[in-house]
Amino acid sequence: MISILIIMLIVFTMVYTMVPRENIFFEDSTYRKLGGKSDDKTEYVYSTWQKLGYLDYVRINDYCLTLYEAGSEDMVRAVSPDSQESQDFVALYTSKGYTVDKYLQSGRYYAYKDIPVINRMLSWLGSLIKIDTPWSVQDPDNPDLERKLYFGRTPTGGVALMGSGTTHKYLLYTDSHFPFIHQNIIKLNFGTSYPTYQGLDVISVLFQTQGTEVKRHVVFETGYEADSGINFGSLRYKPVLDRMDKKKFTDHYAAYDVRKNQPSMIGTSFIMGIFALMMAYLIGLPMGVLMARRKDKLADKLGMIYIIFIIAVPSLAYIYVFRYIGTTVFNLPSVFTTYGPEDIRSWILPIISLALPSIASLMLWTRRYVVDQMNSDYVKFAKSKGLNQREIFGRHIFKNAIIPIAQGIPASLAGCITGAIITESIYSVGGMGKMLPNAINQYNNVMIVALAFIFSSVSVLSVLAGDIVLTKVDPRISLSEKAGRS
Amino acid sequence: MDMLNNPVQEENLDNLFERADFDELESERIAAPRYSYWKSVWKTFFKNKFTVGVAVLLLLIIGFALIQPLHSGYSPVLTPNINNASMKFLKPSAEHIFGTDHVGNEVFDAVWAGARNSIIISFVCTALNMLIGIPIGALWGFSKKMDKWMIEVYNIISNVPFLLLAMILSYVLGAGMRSLIITMTCTEWIFVAYFIRTQVMIIRDREYNMASKCLGTKTWTMILKNILPYLISVIMTYVSRQIPSLISYEVFLSYMGLGLGTTNASLGRTISLYTSYMNGYPHLFWIPVGVLALISISLYIVGQKLADAADPRTHI
Repeated sequence: MISILIIMLIVFTMVYTMVPRENIFFEDSTYRKLGGKSDDKTEYVYSTWQKLGYLDYVRINDYCLTLYEAGSEDMVRAVSPDSQESQDFVALYTSKGYTVDKYLQSGRYYAYKDIPVINRMLSWLGSLIKIDTPWSVQDPDNPDLERKLYFGRTPTGGVALMGSGTTHKYLLYTDSHFPFIHQNIIKLNFGTSYPTYQGLDVISVLFQTQGTEVKRHVVFETGYEADSGINFGSLRYKPVLDRMDKKKFTDHYAAYDVRKNQPSMIGTSFIMGIFALMMAYLIGLPMGVLMARRKDKLADKLGMIYIIFIIAVPSLAYIYVFRYIGTTVFNLPSVFTTYGPEDIRSWILPIISLALPSIASLMLWTRRYVVDQMNSDYVKFAKSKGLNQREIFGRHIFKNAIIPIAQGIPASLAGCITGAIITESIYSVGGMGKMLPNAINQYNNVMIVALAFIFSSVSVLSVLAGDIVLTKVDPRISLSEKAGRS
Repeated sequence: MDMLNNPVQEENLDNLFERADFDELESERIAAPRYSYWKSVWKTFFKNKFTVGVAVLLLLIIGFALIQPLHSGYSPVLTPNINNASMKFLKPSAEHIFGTDHVGNEVFDAVWAGARNSIIISFVCTALNMLIGIPIGALWGFSKKMDKWMIEVYNIISNVPFLLLAMILSYVLGAGMRSLIITMTCTEWIFVAYFIRTQVMIIRDREYNMASKCLGTKTWTMILKNILPYLISVIMTYVSRQIPSLISYEVFLSYMGLGLGTTNASLGRTISLYTSYMNGYPHLFWIPVGVLALISISLYIVGQKLADAADPRTHI
């Protein structure tokens, strides 16, 4: 746990102090539209930085609003640069350690102060887990909002725990989509993505389905009928309702996500990873055993050539070579997007490419462990007892050789979530693996921090899970004993 | 019995023996054949003709990659033939050994200039990683107190996103060879140290080390004299895997646009640049990939064979 915190501190420091903060605007289209040296630009830059937590930003207007009513004569006089209030503002915020500056056009004052990285991280951690309660929504325009929890049914016929005053309408519900029971009570909050995927939560960027909307005929609770891809489970509180919202819904829960036809980023990576993993174990393990049984014969040598090829040749090169073979000989699409994720042909090449290195390393280690076991005394004893080869390999050797391999399974499973950077880039698959390089190139700092957190916690947990698997596979090993040895 | 008791033959008996005086010099000589570790390593290494062939090929490639770019003066920024359509996309021939690319540059020069950078970077990084990783790993494996802390450090360093680090260093230091070398050493050494730690732990508690410890040998002497010599072949195996993997890293980073930058030649960027011409002009793609594969595989094979030769058990 502590190591995750330190990793996050390092990442925070790197992202928020070492990357120049001006860079985040490179990919921002709004910023580009704002002209040369206008006050709007200054205003936009500083308020964006404040939103992202870089600094605390105070304008003279904010200060004067605490003294006078908005729009009053006093207010107008006070915000001008040479008023008494402006002098007070400068004096007050300079004494607080803020840097005071003037807008270029109007000459009015504003003040800002950098927020230390440590504080930023603490506030980030503080808002990381969000629990939805009947008091979550605080809307001054809707003071009569009921605050309760009750059981009901979703429009698609599932049972649900519903809430009023909560952010989500359906807190716990069932429907026909995997994993069938969904919850909206505890949500992770990584902040809002910027500058790419602007306005979207990082979590929904990663988890929401991609592609085009899947429309179907829907009857809303008002009786209004339309073709829509609405996912009823995602209904959220919306403070201001427009005309269409009022046509569809009877209450304030009118914000929703739509179902789209392609799996989410994390889903895409996971599907790809799982199949590649299955392929790797189904091919790698038997091949490794075969190589060990036919040690120094043709099968072993061929396998060795394959392993050396995969280890020595950079992955970029052999993936290209493999893709070339796949596209010319088997007529498969060279990029994922040609046929899209609905077509099975799109998946074949990326999955095999992803499996190639895992197969090689599994073959190598299986061979190593099996060969080691083959020379041990108990195998010689089994042979002298007269057991046949199949029995010895299946019952004796494999059980022992599989132990160190089983430890790696959780880590490989975790690898499915984090995605494959090279494979996904080469085949342009819309998965997680491409997310980190993209976020880095586009200065999406919120996303970088979120991904670093997800990846590091997944990997720390998978190491732990690996140890647990080890004790399950081999009852001789206990974790407490393990502390002293390697 | 008769013979011994016979006084007549006593004289003859004396002649049968030679007087052997104590010879200090002779007593120091060891009867067993002389054994020199490194001589045996080389002898074993050169025994296999295939290995020697690959080693010679590797030396030729490295030598060529180091010298040829100095002669050609290739730089990806210079495109003297960009307006000359007759110089673009030429097939390999006697005049243009590897053909020419989309801006009319010699692929031959581009490939070797890229290979030179890849080789230099991988060698320097491997050397640095080993220099930092081996002493730390050896100490780490020895001290149980240190182990508790270092495992946490390992967890931390191995989880900092590598790409992020590469990008930030290229900001702070500017894209180029220096920042790339720092990127590839400032996290990689921990993996070397971790590997050495495990190896040290395995042989730390062997009897001969226990005995050595009981006799009061200092920790560093034990590491240097008892343990590291034992690990030479394991370390060699690791090095032979590390060099190709660092080349692969460099290629990958350049492919992601985070490597050497646009002003330096790089095999990774060459490959990613030429990929788009794969269907029309396959030589543009296959030649750099082939050269890359050739370098990596021969480096790996020579390294493995050296590691085998470094294992004293093969010297008999």
